[in-house]
Amino acid sequence: MKFAISREDILKPLQLATGTVERRHTLPILSNVLLEITDGVLSITGTDLEVELVASVELVQASEDGKITVPAKKLFDICKGLNEQSLIEFVLDNNKLQIKCGRSKYSLSTLDAKDFPNLEDWQSEINFGVAQNVLKNLIEKTSFSMAVQDVRYYLNGMSLETQDNIIRCVTTDGHRLALTQHELPNERLQESQVIIPRKGVTEILRLIDDVEDVIYISVGSNHIRLNNENFTFTSKLVDGRFPDYRRVLPKGGDKTVTGEKDYLKQAFSRAAILSNEKFRGVRLNLAQHELTITANNPEQEVAEEIVDVNYEGDSLEIGFNVAYIVDILNAIESNEVKITLGDSNSSALIEDNKDDASLYVVMPMRL
Amino acid sequence: MMSKPRKIIHIDMDCFFAAVEMRENPALSNLPIAVGGSSDRRGVLSTCNYLARKYGVRSAMATAHALKLCPDLVVVPGSMALYKSISQQIRDIFLRYTPLIEPLSLDEAYLDVSDCKLFQGSATLIAESIRRDIEVETGLTASAGVAPNKFIAKIASDENKPNGICVIPPHKVSEFVDKLPLRKIPGVGKVTAEKLKSLGLNTTADVRSYPFDGLEQACGKLAKSLLDKSHGIDDRELSLDRVRKSVGVEHTLSHDIYSRDQVLRVIKQLLPELNSRFAKHKRDSVVHKQVIKLKFDDFKTTTIEKISPTLNESLFSELLTGALLRQENRGIRLVGISLGLAKPQTQKQMVFDFL
Repeated sequence: MKFAISREDILKPLQLATGTVERRHTLPILSNVLLEITDGVLSITGTDLEVELVASVELVQASEDGKITVPAKKLFDICKGLNEQSLIEFVLDNNKLQIKCGRSKYSLSTLDAKDFPNLEDWQSEINFGVAQNVLKNLIEKTSFSMAVQDVRYYLNGMSLETQDNIIRCVTTDGHRLALTQHELPNERLQESQVIIPRKGVTEILRLIDDVEDVIYISVGSNHIRLNNENFTFTSKLVDGRFPDYRRVLPKGGDKTVTGEKDYLKQAFSRAAILSNEKFRGVRLNLAQHELTITANNPEQEVAEEIVDVNYEGDSLEIGFNVAYIVDILNAIESNEVKITLGDSNSSALIEDNKDDASLYVVMPMRL
Repeated sequence: MMSKPRKIIHIDMDCFFAAVEMRENPALSNLPIAVGGSSDRRGVLSTCNYLARKYGVRSAMATAHALKLCPDLVVVPGSMALYKSISQQIRDIFLRYTPLIEPLSLDEAYLDVSDCKLFQGSATLIAESIRRDIEVETGLTASAGVAPNKFIAKIASDENKPNGICVIPPHKVSEFVDKLPLRKIPGVGKVTAEKLKSLGLNTTADVRSYPFDGLEQACGKLAKSLLDKSHGIDDRELSLDRVRKSVGVEHTLSHDIYSRDQVLRVIKQLLPELNSRFAKHKRDSVVHKQVIKLKFDDFKTTTIEKISPTLNESLFSELLTGALLRQENRGIRLVGISLGLAKPQTQKQMVFDFL
């Protein structure tokens, strides 16, 4: 195997592939990336057995086909440290990858490419394309409600649903739920629901940019794949049933409050400073045209915030984890938020009053 | 289902405070010594060595009385910080054997070694090894009781004191309990023992054959525990995180005082200490009530308390007014203030019902 490539051309795909590599792994070969040359194309693969990323780049210079694995982090750090715009030559010689660039010479240990794990073959059942910024938006508006290392493993990820011309993302950790959906005008998608694991979700967010370029998504029964001209990302799916979000949506909330999101966010964020560090509870007292937020902590410190809101109805006292409220207000784009409440034991429905594609549900706290 | 018998070790340091003082000052080794407050300040002994015990000196005895029994008794004031650091050293030794430790005081602890794999799981060898570690590393001796439950283990540790061990394996429990004087059962003090004796109850066998109703009439809530213990039964688990129910400070005055102002002055002196003791528990408890305790010159004690969500200095003065209504011209020899603590009310996150 032999190839040459400019530092700039290899850095981006190498960075993408290295990102999926786990630093400390029990299987030594998983800290390596697979380098493969086929017909003048270099592809670099990194995997942690749950997700896999293949980044490809066309070689301008002549090359000899072949494949080998080398330590990912070291290779990346070496390439990154070389002078900008320089040409780097790679030669596989006697189980060592020789790297040459100007007067720099490096010899990296290798492991056989045939031992590099690749995900099993699978068939995609649903295929569609979506603008990267749309996908990014869907994930950013929901990923914060994913569970973290929950024993209910099916909550440690994001539910991706397709239904006719709609794609829908739902996340919940059992205390709160986030849902957002997007219409694809020209698609007629088969109905399906899969769970992308947390690691897959965060990797996708890292890979896509805020651009309108299309990324193609393929979903099989156990895998999801995203690809464009630069990379192919594959993640295993969580094998489990995601709870039915429709059962969680509050019904019969008769108290509707609207208010300015920025004022509310600032008031909640300030009150949070004096909330109990562990439980993060704040008390909301809703009255005509006025919302009072209070917090106190074991040190007997007290915060009180009064915010003007549009509300005409019975007064209500209800407690919430302030971090959950602030997360939601951060995800809402317009400055007009709508909160629908029932009683102090029922969940709150929080929405962007200018956008009905997303909704958020939070269970209260007993204070 | 019969569960596997547990293996509990009770470790009790031999006259701990006195032993530490003898270690620090070997000149004391051959003298009768005690740790406690001096007699001219109406002090009380907390510990004495075995030499002093020969004279009838006991812990919790008034120093003045002890000096009457043993005029040569050397009373040293005691160094709490040192005792605490040695106690921590001993606790670190325990941790090599088991994480299941229930400290009872600085010099006593229960250990549950049921799941300890050392010495093929032999609790006896574990206890001997702990005693050896303590002696080598601190120069102090400890006694151990090894038994299937806390109550037997605690009594056993006293059997071969000092520097001894007593093992009561499960099949020996009933034999051990049969020989046990009722007075040795925790909760049975002088008064209860007298009461039981008047019913003709002298041994655990007597208690076992006595009708339970009668037992309940005689000693109320204690009856159930007394009957269990007479059968050698004690299912109490080790309490690993003992939640403090109160913190307090008190001061025995060198001279009796009479006026409200004098008492208030003492309270003011005690407050910083109360505050600093409470500070250590602020993380996991909140103030629930405030208490004032007064001991009068006839040794009668009165306490008065009030629910309060915070430490409120002026509340002590209000409480004092109430306490002094009971003074009846007696002199006051001790003033104490304390806080009753409660678990902080926890905030509880509700969950979706799909779970």
